Amino acid sequence: MTTMTAQATQVYQLFIKATPEAIWDAITKPEFTIRYYHGARVENTPERHRGYGPNGEVWGDSPTLEYDPPHRLVHAWQSLYSPELAEEPESRVSWEIEPQEGGYCLLTVTHDQLDGSPKTAESVSGPGWMMVLSGLKTLLETGDVLDPDRA
Amino acid sequence: MTDDDQVFKALADPTRRYLLDRLFEHDGRTLTELESELEMTRFGVMKHLRVLEDAHLVVTRRSGREKLHYLNPVPIRLIHDRWIDKYTEHRVAALADLKTELEETA
Repeated sequence: MTTMTAQATQVYQLFIKATPEAIWDAITKPEFTIRYYHGARVENTPERHRGYGPNGEVWGDSPTLEYDPPHRLVHAWQSLYSPELAEEPESRVSWEIEPQEGGYCLLTVTHDQLDGSPKTAESVSGPGWMMVLSGLKTLLETGDVLDPDRA
Repeated sequence: MTDDDQVFKALADPTRRYLLDRLFEHDGRTLTELESELEMTRFGVMKHLRVLEDAHLVVTRRSGREKLHYLNPVPIRLIHDRWIDKYTEHRVAALADLKTELEETA
């Protein structure tokens, strides 16, 4: 297998059988995120994107850049959960929810502006975001938690 | 629409797998860049990219006048979760059972 340098722009896209409103709630409200987002309580308000660990430690605290429920959320990203990653500059995460036929939505998550943050890019790439997104899909479609040990 | 069929179909072609590998190494490429790595007409490469896009294995973004192609790893992950995990688990379990049985009767 080829070694991979984590990309400065990462795009993740998946279908979820849920309403745009349900997806919006699941990505903006801590009572949902705690069940799939590496155990983090994430709260997105029109002003801030904040994430807290199980013991209340601050994992993320960055400005919200766009807040258009239930279509589009853009917020800055800084990995405060790791001192090494926290030193890197802020990057950007965009969530786009597009309704499709048959009760599905297409969710596109773009993590970009990672050019100056190679360690963060490496840490979130591949399994990092995919665990979150497949967990989100499972939660919304079945009500189950994908990986109970992590939640 | 979310059909695994489209993903399997898209993966069932060496050129398309080659394109995915190129994007895996370096994402966000233009058609021209991808074309330069293949002995194929521009139209041929476009057709393959279209199949990959339809299967959502490739997502495009506009950047100024350019259209950039990104690898979307989620469909392969979901197929892995749905198909590969299930059968490897079963096989490992079957081997474990066989071992137990052989050791018990030995």
